[in-house]
Amino acid sequence: MSIAAFIILAAMIAVYVILDGFDLGVAAITPFIARSESERAASMHAIGPFWNGNEVWLIAAGGALFAFFPKAYASAFSGFYLPFIIVLWMLMFRGIALELRGHFPTRIWHDFWDFCFTVSSTLLILLFGVALGNLLHGVPLDTNGYFLGTFGVLLNPYALGVGILAVLTIALEGAAFIMLRIDGAPAVRAAKLAIPLWWLVLIAYVAVTIATFSMHFSERLAQTAAYGAILPGMLIVLSLAALIAGYFAFIRKAAWFAFLSVCAFLGFLLVAAAATLYPYLLPSFPSGNGISIFDASPSPAALLTALVAVIAGLCITIIYAGTVFPRFFEKGNRLIKP
Amino acid sequence: MDVAVADRLQFAFTIMFHYLFPIGTMGLAPFIAWYTLKAWRASDEEAAKIAAFWTKIFAINFAAGVVTGIPMEFQFGTNWAAFSAKAGGVVGQPLAMEGVYAFFLESIFLGILLYGKRAVPPALHALSAVLVCLGSWLSGFFIVVTDAWMQHPVGYSIAREGRIEMQNLAAVLLSPFALWQYLHVMVAALVAGAFIVAGVGAYYLLSNREAQIGQRLVRAGLITGFIFSALTIFPTGDRNSADVTEYQPIKLAAMEGLFNSTNGAPLAIIGIPDVHAKQLIDPIFVPSALSFLAYGNFEANVKGLTAYATELWPPVELTYYAYHVMVGLGTIFLAVTAIGVLLLLWRAAVYRSRWLLWLLMLLMPLPYIANEAGWTVSEVGRQPWIIYGLMRTNEGISSNVASGETIFTLIGFLGMYFLLGVIFLYLTLREISLGVER
Repeated sequence: MSIAAFIILAAMIAVYVILDGFDLGVAAITPFIARSESERAASMHAIGPFWNGNEVWLIAAGGALFAFFPKAYASAFSGFYLPFIIVLWMLMFRGIALELRGHFPTRIWHDFWDFCFTVSSTLLILLFGVALGNLLHGVPLDTNGYFLGTFGVLLNPYALGVGILAVLTIALEGAAFIMLRIDGAPAVRAAKLAIPLWWLVLIAYVAVTIATFSMHFSERLAQTAAYGAILPGMLIVLSLAALIAGYFAFIRKAAWFAFLSVCAFLGFLLVAAAATLYPYLLPSFPSGNGISIFDASPSPAALLTALVAVIAGLCITIIYAGTVFPRFFEKGNRLIKP
Repeated sequence: MDVAVADRLQFAFTIMFHYLFPIGTMGLAPFIAWYTLKAWRASDEEAAKIAAFWTKIFAINFAAGVVTGIPMEFQFGTNWAAFSAKAGGVVGQPLAMEGVYAFFLESIFLGILLYGKRAVPPALHALSAVLVCLGSWLSGFFIVVTDAWMQHPVGYSIAREGRIEMQNLAAVLLSPFALWQYLHVMVAALVAGAFIVAGVGAYYLLSNREAQIGQRLVRAGLITGFIFSALTIFPTGDRNSADVTEYQPIKLAAMEGLFNSTNGAPLAIIGIPDVHAKQLIDPIFVPSALSFLAYGNFEANVKGLTAYATELWPPVELTYYAYHVMVGLGTIFLAVTAIGVLLLLWRAAVYRSRWLLWLLMLLMPLPYIANEAGWTVSEVGRQPWIIYGLMRTNEGISSNVASGETIFTLIGFLGMYFLLGVIFLYLTLREISLGVER
């Protein structure tokens, strides 16, 4: 039952990353692809109907973590108090920027919020990436599972590397989304920018993958043995295949194909991350005090209720979101002219 | 500063500021749904304009609500880790359900309402308004259920390491305590919505513009304001009091400023509680009324604060004043809307009564105060418990977060919310002054 809860939670987080990824990615590359004010407005308008619904995935995942694994929720958010509050502030800033820009037709007003939009979104991606890096690396925990270290511990080279990979990959996703939604010059620039960006992603991906395997090498080896060689190998092959497919899609300016490839690449990376973490939600390094999914969850009966309630809600959501969102991509609604 | 005090200050500030916006969304959503449906079914052009106008104001409220709501969801983990670790199995669940059942509904269909007017058929557009309303009301439901469980825990069991777990989800969701509290909260939000609608209409009439729409808004606001003001008192307020009387007698004593147990207890209309002298200064009483309201019997014995150990008392002054502010304002709302409805029926005199229009315009902020005061009674009155009878508030904090950290983030929230509040007011007032007819 704990395993089912872990899978659902990981899936919700993955959906959040992929969906809000294009919002954040669009924000991160806007300064590079939008020159005029109206182009920058178009880039915000491109994610206008979606970003709020996408952010709900984060809130829902937070709620699911609270309900499924209360102990991990309590320990993680109180342990990383300041970094986490900064994430919250950045999320707030991003939302404020998106909501306020359009309300006042002045150059200064627009420039200010465009700046906030890009900076808060880019910082968010970096912070999420660093957080994931630290989870994969493990953090010093006390016997109750509370964080023992300082800021400096969290900003280790490996975590920063994951952060950079995150920024690059999400920016690539943003480029694909711009090609998908905006007509004219920004789309052309996004396609052009995507190629060097793609190479950077490839380099960062290879570096981080090697680092992940060599870090705590013996543990990783034992874990790989437990999964069998099939799963890790398959994930590497699939993610590389998705990334390479993306390259050809960007070259041919096939927006949909590029977008889906980058999403698939992100998805496989996240599955790999979840598989590396398992069975821990908050692994400790040096090891011993990590919080595992079995330790943090309520009894099976209580967990089952929570799972059923959440899964049923998700199914309903997927049905209506699946009915409604494609409307924005129908002919005539899809492309925004700056 | 004591860590628990810093945590409580931060929670009180962030939740009270956040709640200003759900009052607006929950209170206005039914009006938007009503006007949108009317515009669709009756091809009522004016109703379409009114719906679009309120949707704009709703959207500003919604955005501010989302932005200030995100920290709420995670603050249980950041500042109340012990509470979360112990009770997350129960309280986490309605919060998770709020995300998957209510927030998705509200945000996705608001996207349609705002961006999709041309992209979707009119019927789906109208349906979106209804679903946005449903989403905001469901969201309120899950929040109130969570709070009601902390007020009156039911349907749980105690598991390993003293963790509290969900045993019966239906008992938690359908607890009578929660249902009456929910109805009271929603009706109170509707009173706020009605006063906003009436107040904006009054503003247009007073400034001699958009007379027809102004009249329409005043009429709608007055009628709904009257109905819902009455409903806040009876049956919802009355049932809430009955639940407090039964399950939280100390809170009742603090609300009423009753220090000594009394047969035929009087109801204090006004008075100043003096906690050290354990008495009410300069009171005005209605004899035996408290006994009657609490037990339906003028002679019944009502227990006073001194019947309980001092350490079990909530902060008496705050509970007492918040309660009296709420009840006082509720009475004023009922009186003003009753007069307004009478003037409406009597040859539509209300539109010419400038004094009443002035009153309606100036009263606009007061339902917000009444709503916040009501929650203050509920939450401050629950102290010293975080979960009534099960866990003390000061046992629920994050032991690994220093008060310095919390004060730093509290200052950050203060600054950010000040900015947000100024911008919110500016944008809302600008929409109102731009008018319904553009």
